[in-house]
Amino acid sequence: MKNALLGGLAAVGLLAALPATASAEELNMVCGAEQDWCELMARGFEEETGNEVLMVRKSTGETLAQVRAEASNPKIDVWWGGTGDPHLIAAFEGLTQDPGVDTSELLGWASNMHKISNGGTVGIYAGALGIAYNSEVLEERGLPAPACWKDLTNPAYAGEIQVANPNSSGTAYTELATFVQLFGEDEAYRLLTEIGKNVNQYTKSGSAPSKAAARGETTISIGFMHDMVKLAGSGFPLKIVAPCEGTGYEVGAVSVIKGAKHPELAKQFVEYALRPDVQSRSVEVKSFQVPSNSKASVAPESPDLASIKLIDYDFATYGERSTRERLLKRWNEEVKNASH
Amino acid sequence: MRKTIALWLAAGIVGFCIFPWYSVDSGFWSFSWLFSEFLSEDAAPALFQALLYGRWWFVPLALAFVGIALSFAVLKDERTRAKALVILSITGIVLLFAQGFAIGRTGPELFNDALNFGSAASGQIGFGAGAMLTAGALLFILTTSISGLGQGRGDAFIVGSIGLIIALVVTFVFYPVSQILIRAFEASDGSFDITAFFTRFFSSDIWSLACLAGGKTCGPAWNSVFLAVLTGAGTTLLGLAFALIATKTAFPAKKLLRVLTIIPIITPPFVIGLALILMFGRAGVVTDVLHEMFDISKSRWLYGFSGIYLAQLLSFTPIAFLVLIGVVEGVSPSMEEASQTLNATQWQTFKNVTWPLMRPGLANAFLLGFIESIADFGNPLVLGGNYNVLSTEIYFAIVGAVADPSRAAVLAVVLLMLTLSAFIAQRLWLGKKSYATVTGKADSGQHSPLNPALKWACYGFALPWAAFTAVVYSMIVFGSFVKLWGYDNTFTLDHYIRAFSVSFNNGIRWTGVAWDSYFTTLTISTMAAPLTAVVGLLTAYLLVRQKFAGKNMFEFSTMLSFAIPGTVIGVAYIMAFNTPPIELTGTSIILIIVFVFRNMPVGVRGGIAAMSQLDKSLDEASITLGANSFTTVRKVILPLMGPAILAALAYSFVRAITSVSAVIFLVSARHNMATSFIVGRVEHGEYGIAIAYSSVLIITMLVAILLLQVVIGQRKLRRQNRLQTSNKNKELASA
Amino acid sequence: MSIMQKAGSVQFRDVVKKYGSVTALKPLNLDIQQGELVTLLGPSGCGKTTTLRLIAGLEAATEGTIYIGGKDVTHLTATYRNVSMVFQSYALFPHMSVVDNVSYGLRVNKVPAKEAKAKAEEGLAMVGLAGYGERLPSELSGGQQQRVAVARAVVLEPEVLLLDEPLSNLDAKLRRHVREEIREIQQKLGLTAVYVTHDQEEAMAVSDRIIVMNKAEIAQSGTPRELYNQPNSAFIADFIGDANVVDCEIVGFGEGTVSLNVGGATVVLPYSGPTCQHGKLAIRPEGISVSQSATNGIAAGVSYAAYLGNQIQYSLNTGMGKLFAIDHNLSATVVPTGTEAFIHLKEEGLAFLPEA
Ligand SMILES: Nc1ncnc2c1ncn2[C@@H]1O[C@H](COP(=O)(O)OP(=O)(O)O)[C@@H](O)[C@H]1O
Ligand SMILES: [Mg+2]
Repeated sequence: MKNALLGGLAAVGLLAALPATASAEELNMVCGAEQDWCELMARGFEEETGNEVLMVRKSTGETLAQVRAEASNPKIDVWWGGTGDPHLIAAFEGLTQDPGVDTSELLGWASNMHKISNGGTVGIYAGALGIAYNSEVLEERGLPAPACWKDLTNPAYAGEIQVANPNSSGTAYTELATFVQLFGEDEAYRLLTEIGKNVNQYTKSGSAPSKAAARGETTISIGFMHDMVKLAGSGFPLKIVAPCEGTGYEVGAVSVIKGAKHPELAKQFVEYALRPDVQSRSVEVKSFQVPSNSKASVAPESPDLASIKLIDYDFATYGERSTRERLLKRWNEEVKNASH
Repeated sequence: MRKTIALWLAAGIVGFCIFPWYSVDSGFWSFSWLFSEFLSEDAAPALFQALLYGRWWFVPLALAFVGIALSFAVLKDERTRAKALVILSITGIVLLFAQGFAIGRTGPELFNDALNFGSAASGQIGFGAGAMLTAGALLFILTTSISGLGQGRGDAFIVGSIGLIIALVVTFVFYPVSQILIRAFEASDGSFDITAFFTRFFSSDIWSLACLAGGKTCGPAWNSVFLAVLTGAGTTLLGLAFALIATKTAFPAKKLLRVLTIIPIITPPFVIGLALILMFGRAGVVTDVLHEMFDISKSRWLYGFSGIYLAQLLSFTPIAFLVLIGVVEGVSPSMEEASQTLNATQWQTFKNVTWPLMRPGLANAFLLGFIESIADFGNPLVLGGNYNVLSTEIYFAIVGAVADPSRAAVLAVVLLMLTLSAFIAQRLWLGKKSYATVTGKADSGQHSPLNPALKWACYGFALPWAAFTAVVYSMIVFGSFVKLWGYDNTFTLDHYIRAFSVSFNNGIRWTGVAWDSYFTTLTISTMAAPLTAVVGLLTAYLLVRQKFAGKNMFEFSTMLSFAIPGTVIGVAYIMAFNTPPIELTGTSIILIIVFVFRNMPVGVRGGIAAMSQLDKSLDEASITLGANSFTTVRKVILPLMGPAILAALAYSFVRAITSVSAVIFLVSARHNMATSFIVGRVEHGEYGIAIAYSSVLIITMLVAILLLQVVIGQRKLRRQNRLQTSNKNKELASA
Repeated sequence: MSIMQKAGSVQFRDVVKKYGSVTALKPLNLDIQQGELVTLLGPSGCGKTTTLRLIAGLEAATEGTIYIGGKDVTHLTATYRNVSMVFQSYALFPHMSVVDNVSYGLRVNKVPAKEAKAKAEEGLAMVGLAGYGERLPSELSGGQQQRVAVARAVVLEPEVLLLDEPLSNLDAKLRRHVREEIREIQQKLGLTAVYVTHDQEEAMAVSDRIIVMNKAEIAQSGTPRELYNQPNSAFIADFIGDANVVDCEIVGFGEGTVSLNVGGATVVLPYSGPTCQHGKLAIRPEGISVSQSATNGIAAGVSYAAYLGNQIQYSLNTGMGKLFAIDHNLSATVVPTGTEAFIHLKEEGLAFLPEA
C-alpha cells in the first residue's frame, strides 16, 4: 500500500511539476519564411541584443490557426514572414497589436499595409506573381513559351499547367484577386475557367506548382517569382515569365501578437526586421524577395519590380473576409467545377 | 486502508495549503514559490488565494476538505466512513473542476451574472502543482474509499489504478475530443445549431458520389473509405504472404526480409512519398527509362489514388506482417493435421480449421491497415493530386487560406465516425475474446511446409514487393547524398553538414539547423516511451487479471484513442488545453501527453497478449503467499513481461519520433519536433536536407531499439531458456 | 523444528458462488476441523476448485459467510488471509531461484531477509531438497518442482493449506510417492489441509475425511470407509469404487436394519436412515462370489471371464441385469465364459440406497 502511494505521489508530482512556463528574456517567434532565413533573423537578433529567440517555422495558415486558437492566451510574441494576407486577417480580427515602430523609411506598399491594418502588421518584403515553365519539358513537348496570362488558355497546354487551390493557398488567392483586379470579375472567372481546363492539379500549397515545374512533374506553373528564382538558382531548368498584362504581388509581413508576453522585445524585433542592413542580408540565404526598406540593397537575381508591370493591389478590399468568401465561392462553383 | 487515506489526505492538504495552486512562471522546481513568493498572488496556495486575494471560489473546496478530515477522524464504522468519504471526495473533485471551468482567464466563463463578484472578474490562470496534487489526492481518497466499500475485492491498488486510468483517459482523450464535437455544432456566429450541423455533416462536399456517376471526383469521405478498404485488404494480403514465407518456407534471406519489413515502420512520413515521386513522377527515373526504352509516355498517374495507394502499401504492409506472423504461427500444424487425419479435404480443413483460427488476426491486420490509411496524412499530402481525403481536408480546413475550424470539426467527426465504425464492426465480428486466439501458442516449432503452388504464389507476390521496398530505400539514401536529387546527382555531404554540423571553437557548439529539434525529439520521445509503457501495461493488467463492473466500457475507452486520427487529436488538444483550467500548449508536456495517449492502445494490446501468456496461477500464488497486488505486479508480473515492455517502449519511442499529424499543431518555439521541421523543409522543396534528416532519424531509432534489446532483451534471452517461451516475442509483435 | 503451524478450522455457512448466470456452488455448508486433511472429490466441473478458491480468498462469495480459525474472513482478500495454496501447475516463479521462491511469502510479509532465507532452507530440507536452493525452477524435475511448491506454501505457517490437484502433472509412480510425502508432512506439522482431486484412489489414500461433490453441492461426506461401505446414493456408490446398482424390493425395516428382496434372495442389511418406499441396492464387485459348484443362489450366465493375475473378473447375466464381479481368491478356478453358474451376495459388499 505504501508503495502504491509513493508511485501515485510520484506520478502526480511529475504532472504537477512540468507545466512551467518560459522565463522572461526569451522572444517567442513564429516564422513563415524559409528555414534558413528564419534562422538568420533569429540568430542575428540574438547576437545583436543578447536575448534568446525561440523560433519555430510554421506555414502562415498554421500560424493563423494557432494565433486564433490561442487568442485568449497567446504563446507567440512575434510573427515574422510569410504572405501578408493571413497577417492582415489577424490584424482585422484584432489578433495583433501595433508595435509602434517608425515606418517612414519603408516603400509605399509596406507602409500602406501598416496603415490599412491600423498598425496591426508591417510589410517587410514583396514578391510578384509570375509564370514559370520547365524549358526542357517544354521543348520536349514542342510547346510554345507563354508570355501572358491569356496565353495559358491555349488548348495545347492541356494537362501541363499546375496551380494552387485558392481555398488552401494564399498564393493562389493572390492570383485570383490579381485576375479580378486585372480583368474585371466576370472576365477573370471566364479566363480562369479556360485555364482550368489545362490544369493538371490544384495543389494545396502555393509553392508546390513551381517545385513541380522545376522537377518536370508539370510543365508550367503559376506562383511567386522569388520562389522560381531560387529554384532556377539551384540548378533546375526553370524559366520565369513576368506576364505581359501585369501582375499582382504579395507583401510579406511582420506582426506582434496581441497580448504578447514580451511586447518590448517584440517591438525591438520589428525594428530590427525593418532595418536596411538586416533586410539586405536576405540574399545570403537565397531569398529573392524585394525588401521593404527603401535603403536596403536588392539582390541582382531578384525580379526587378520596377521593370514588371505591377497592378495597384488593393489589400484592404481583397484581404477582407467577405470579399474573400465571395470570390472563393464563385471560384468553387465556376472554376473548380469546370476543371477535370 | 486508514493509513492510505491519511496519507492522501495529508497530500491533499499540502496541495491546497502549501503548493502553488496556479502554474508558476519560474517553474515548480525553482522552489521560489516556497520562499520569497509564497504569499504572492501568482504563487500562493489555494488557501491563501482565498484568504488574501479574495478568490472566494476556493472556499467550498476547502469545506469539502474539512468534511473529509472530519469524517475521517470522527466516524468509527468503516462502511459509514467509506461512504461519507466517497460522497465528499466526489464533491471535492466536482468543485475543483467546476471552479476551474467557471472562472476563466478573463473572468467568469459560465453564469457570468451570478459569479461576477469578488475577484472573479480578474480571472485566474491554469492549474499548477497545487491543483494537480489536490486533484490527485481527492481521486485517490475516492478510490481508496470505494475499495473500502468492498469494490474491486477491496484492493486499494486495483481501484486506485482503475480510477487513475479513467481520470487520465477522460482528461486527455474524452475531454479534448468533446471540444471538437462542440465545435462541430457551432454555427459561424458562435451559437449552437443542430440543424446546421446535420446540413454540414451530410453535405455533398463530404459525401458526394459523383465519381460513380462518371463525375470528376467523389467526396473526401468516400475517397477515404475507398482508399482505406483497399489499403486494408492490400496490406493484409501482402502481410500474409510475407508471414507465410517467414514461417512456413525455407526462404534463405528471412533476416533481410525482417529488416525490410521493419524499416518502413521507423520511416518518418513524407519520405516514401518523395522517393516515389522521384522514381515514378512524370520526371522520375523509372518514368524516364520507360520512356526511353519503350516509349511509354510520361504521365502523372502517380498523383492521386494510385500514388497514395502505393505509398500506403509500402508504409503499412509491415504492420500487417507483424500482426499476421503471430497468427500464422498460432495456427498449429497439428490442428491442421488433425483435421486432415479426420478425412477432411484441404478445402474443408481450410474452411473449418485454418480460417476460423486466422480470422481474428486477419481482421486485426485489416483494421490496422484501414485505420492507418484513413488517418494517414503525409502520403496524401505529397501524392494526393486531386484525390481529396478527409485527413488532408481537415488539415487545410484549419490552416487553409479560409480557415474554418467548424468545418474541420465536422470533417473530424466524420473521420472519427468512420474509424469507430470499423473498430466496432471488428469487435462485433470477432466477439470479445479476439486476442486470446491471436496469441495462440505454437505447440511445435516445426511448421508443415506450404503447398508448392501457394509457396510460389507467396514468393511471386511478396518478393517483388520486397525488392521494390529495397529500391525505394536505396533511393532515399542516395537522395541524401546528392546535390539536387533528380537533376544534379553529384555526391555531396552538404545536407548532412547543414543539418548536423558541430563547431568546436570554445566548446562544442551545435551549429547544424537540425540539432534543436533533434534533441527535443529525443528528449520527448524518451520521456513519453516509459510513460506509455506504464499506462499501457497497467491497463492491460487490469483488463486481463481483474474483474470489475464496466470492464468492457473501460477497455473500449482505453482503445478509443487508437481510432482517433492524429490531425483530429492535434486540433482537439489545442482547443482543449490552451485555456485554463488545464493549460498545456507551448510546453513539452503536451507533446509527451499526446504521445502517451495516442500510443497507449498499442501498449495495452501488447500487454494483453503477453499477460494472457502468463499463467494466472503465478499471480494467484503470489497473492495467496500474502503479497498485495502492487507487490505482485512489481515482483512477479513485470519481471516476466520483458518482451512486452520492450515492444511497448520501442513502439512508443518510434511513434513519438515519426508521428507528424498530431504534433504539427502542438509544436512550439521551445519544443519543436523533428517531423515538423522536416515537413517545413519538404514544403520548401529542400528534399535533400529533409531526407538526410530522416535518414539520421531512422538510424537513431535503430540504435535505440538495439539498445533496448540489449538492456531488456538480455533478461528475455535468459528467461527464454528457462521458460521455453521462445514464441512469445513474435506474439508480442503481433499485438 | 521452527516451522510451527497455527492450524485453523474452516467453516462455510450457506456459501453460494455464481459466475454470472452459472451457479458454481449451491448453498454450501462445510466444517473442516483443525489438523484435519479433507479431500474434495468429484467429477470435473463439480465446484471443487471454486470451493478451494473461496477458502483462499481468490474468489469472493456471492452469498454466505466463510470462517477461518473461527474468524469471519468473507470480505478479506487472499493477501490478508493466512492460507497458502499449492497450484496444479505449481506456479513457481520462473525468474526466481528455488530459495527465493520459497522465501517469497516470508519476504513480502516483512520477515527479515536472513530469517526468511534460513526458514526457506529449512522448508527445502523438509521436502528433501536441501542444497537445491540456488537452482531455477526450470532446472528441477516435475516432482522436485512439486515439492518446492509445497515447501513454499508450508513455510508461511498457514492456518490452512490448500492443494488443487497437486499431483495431476506427475506420472503414476511418482504420484503415489509424493502423495505419501504430502500426507507425512501434513501429519508431522499438524496442518489443516484441503486437498482437491478427481481421483478417488488418491483421495482414499491421503484423507482423514472425504467430501464428495456433485453438481455444485456436497453429495456425501465421511471417512473413506464410511463412503465405501455406506454410500448414500447411486452416485457415491459408483464414484467411490465400482458398484453394480440394481433394483430391489423393500421387505421391511427392522431395528437398525432393512430387509430386501433381490433376484429372489432376501438380504438383511444394517440401515439406520429414514424408512422409505423405494430404494436400490449397490453391490460391490467383490461382494459377489461366483461358483459353478454351488447348487443354490442366484442363477447367472457368465458372458465374460478373465484372469488378470491379481484378480478374476466376470461379466454376468442375471435376473437383476448385467453384473460385474471381481474375485480376489486367486486359488479359485476360473468359471469359463459361456457357462452357467450361481452367485452369492456377501453382506459386507452390499449397501442399501434409499430413494425418496
Ligand atoms: N471464472 C469462471 N467463470 C465462469 N464460470 C466458471 C468460472 N470458474 C469456474 N466456472 C464454472 O464453475 C463450475 C465449477 O468449476 P470448478 O470449481 O473449476 O470445477 P472443478 O470441480 O472441476 O474444479 C464449472 O461449471 C465451471 O464452468
Ligand atoms: Mg478444478
